[in-house]
Amino acid sequence: MANQETQLLDEIITTSRRKMMTLGAASIAGLVMAATATDAKAATTYSDSDILNFALNLEYLEANFFYLSAFGTTIDKPNAASVAAGGPSAGIPITGSVGTAGTVSGGSMVPFATVAVGSFATEIAIAEGKHVLFLQGALGSSAIAQPAINLGTSWQTLAAAANTLTPAGAIPPNFSPYTSDSSFLIGAYVFEDVGVTAYHGAASLLTSTGNLTSAAGILAVEAYHAGLVRTAINALDPTGTLGLVGYTTSISNLRSSLSQAGLLGVAPGATSYDANPDDYGLATFTTPTALGTTSTATATRIVDANPANAIAFARNTTQVLNIVTGGAAVNGSAAVSPAMGLFFPAGLNAGANGFK
Amino acid sequence: MFKSYLFSPSVHGHRKLSGDAIVKTIDSLVEKALSRRTFLAGAGAAATAAALTGCSGQSYGSGGTTTTGSGTTYSDADILNYALNLEYLEAQFYLYAATGSGLASSDTAAPSGYSGSYTEGTVTVGSAAQVTGLTTAEQEILNEIAFEEQTHVQFLRSALGSAAVPMPSIDLSFFGPLAVAAGITTNATGTGSFNPFSSFDYFLVGAFIFEDVGVTAYAGAASFISPTGVAAGYLTAASGILAVEAYHAGYIRTALTARAIAAGSASAYPYLGDANLVEKLRASLTTGKTAAPSTSGSTETLLVLPTSTSTPSAVAAADPTNAIGFSRTFTQVHHIVYGSATAGVAKGGFFPNGTNSIFATTSA
Repeated sequence: MANQETQLLDEIITTSRRKMMTLGAASIAGLVMAATATDAKAATTYSDSDILNFALNLEYLEANFFYLSAFGTTIDKPNAASVAAGGPSAGIPITGSVGTAGTVSGGSMVPFATVAVGSFATEIAIAEGKHVLFLQGALGSSAIAQPAINLGTSWQTLAAAANTLTPAGAIPPNFSPYTSDSSFLIGAYVFEDVGVTAYHGAASLLTSTGNLTSAAGILAVEAYHAGLVRTAINALDPTGTLGLVGYTTSISNLRSSLSQAGLLGVAPGATSYDANPDDYGLATFTTPTALGTTSTATATRIVDANPANAIAFARNTTQVLNIVTGGAAVNGSAAVSPAMGLFFPAGLNAGANGFK
Repeated sequence: MFKSYLFSPSVHGHRKLSGDAIVKTIDSLVEKALSRRTFLAGAGAAATAAALTGCSGQSYGSGGTTTTGSGTTYSDADILNYALNLEYLEAQFYLYAATGSGLASSDTAAPSGYSGSYTEGTVTVGSAAQVTGLTTAEQEILNEIAFEEQTHVQFLRSALGSAAVPMPSIDLSFFGPLAVAAGITTNATGTGSFNPFSSFDYFLVGAFIFEDVGVTAYAGAASFISPTGVAAGYLTAASGILAVEAYHAGYIRTALTARAIAAGSASAYPYLGDANLVEKLRASLTTGKTAAPSTSGSTETLLVLPTSTSTPSAVAAADPTNAIGFSRTFTQVHHIVYGSATAGVAKGGFFPNGTNSIFATTSA
């Protein structure tokens, strides 16, 4: 029963969010300015380097997850398998000018049962490693070191967080992505769609044409990977009887909840307080419009996009941070600044004005 | 209009908040509401900074137009219309494959108030028809891609309003000649010809022709959007559609790879090899980037058939050094959809009368 107050609240939320969505991370820069800058007309406080370093944090995370899954080692420790697959024989540097290199906890090689999933993991590992190297090269002396990364207990934390939502998540409390082909794909699912939304959200903030083209190219690769992972899960469990579809729905609900919670500065609620998810699992859906001159139809959700316009979602840095650190879902009811937790137990590495 | 359509999804119902959550949320919202003017100021500064520092070598007019070094002036609408032409083609292909018919006339006609010179074309259907013999899952995937490409057409038309070009003539019988040019078969029509509507595997090869091209086309166009267009949300829309095209391409390439692995050998699953022949053809048509696929300087990555869990697949099409996706220029994309590497060509292939685009004539 909506009264005037709740209607007003809804309006504020909608308006506020629209601006945030429109302006993306620019709005975050605005917040930073409001908090710290004495001259409101000063140039924005972020630079291309800040944005690329934010991306580098995420690539360190992804690369280590896929390296551990495919080769059993972190990115800085090459082995015969990683080198044979095309990884650098010298390993991938984890040091940088900003911050000290953190360690990676957890993670182990997945006992792949099929050539398909094993080869997919190997491909993605090599590509994500190259993204780390590319960004380090593009940033040069501005590059951050690898932050501390948790790829062990964070999976159980994630499962528990998903279970706080309504409807409750379907992920087992002891979930580990390193046990089988399907568990690995679920782990990969957690990351790839987020990478897409992060690069998508950052694209329009980059000022250098060269950086924009690079970001668009990495965005494309993240989306290829996301398409791969979602296709593979769909192929393994087309009707959802194995439970994998339910896992993807839980993860997408959690991401969506954390994303919106990050925007609103609140804890993800015990109820689904947001009617506009920015993430969808693999359950089929009925197309909202007729196909051509025929009728509506049941469709898969290989693509994680807004069904209103078939455009992939964009997230700003706060939204992405809230997802990869677990936000208030793992830190209690208050947002933590700098954000830390879940996959980044000590937060991100960032320059003085960077995103963290 | 563009911005509001893109960023203002319809809000359904009311959020349910209670007790402490409401208090905390109100506090947070008040804070944010007070800061919103600052957000706007920040965005303005960002746009100004982009205008000052972005895209050296190009100059921007006040109306969101871009002038290239050679003096050709085009607007953000021209870029979106270029994309719309490609989406018309993709949507028709997928809709025929999924349903047996194409876009509704309301999605192809010139919009109300259209004052441009392009006219609505027709679709040469050829052997285009609903793909039969599909599993439920396969049909649902065709439905999804058809829905998304159709929605891209509708989205771009909505974003462009009365400036949206009508659908150009589209020839869906061009798959036959294209397959001959690629070396997949020797018969352009009739028995032995390539027909992407004849089975799911042939459909995958047909879809393969388009999806990587869509990715590279959006990647190539993104940096040409003016600062005004960036502020209006055009770049965000373009990168979001780019992502969807890459999801589609990821699907197609994953399916071809997985089905080849399941079949056990390249000869047992010739469609993967067919797709690679398409890549070689596209590479030869991409003027200025005609290096062999998977080599330095190419814009193509050949599919591979992994033989063990530790052999990498090649699902993502990306440069082998940095794993960054490729981009193509307006002209390079037109060479592919026209099926001609000749400079100065204005029509052919899938677009028998050319695209309804300022970029319709290949310039190199």
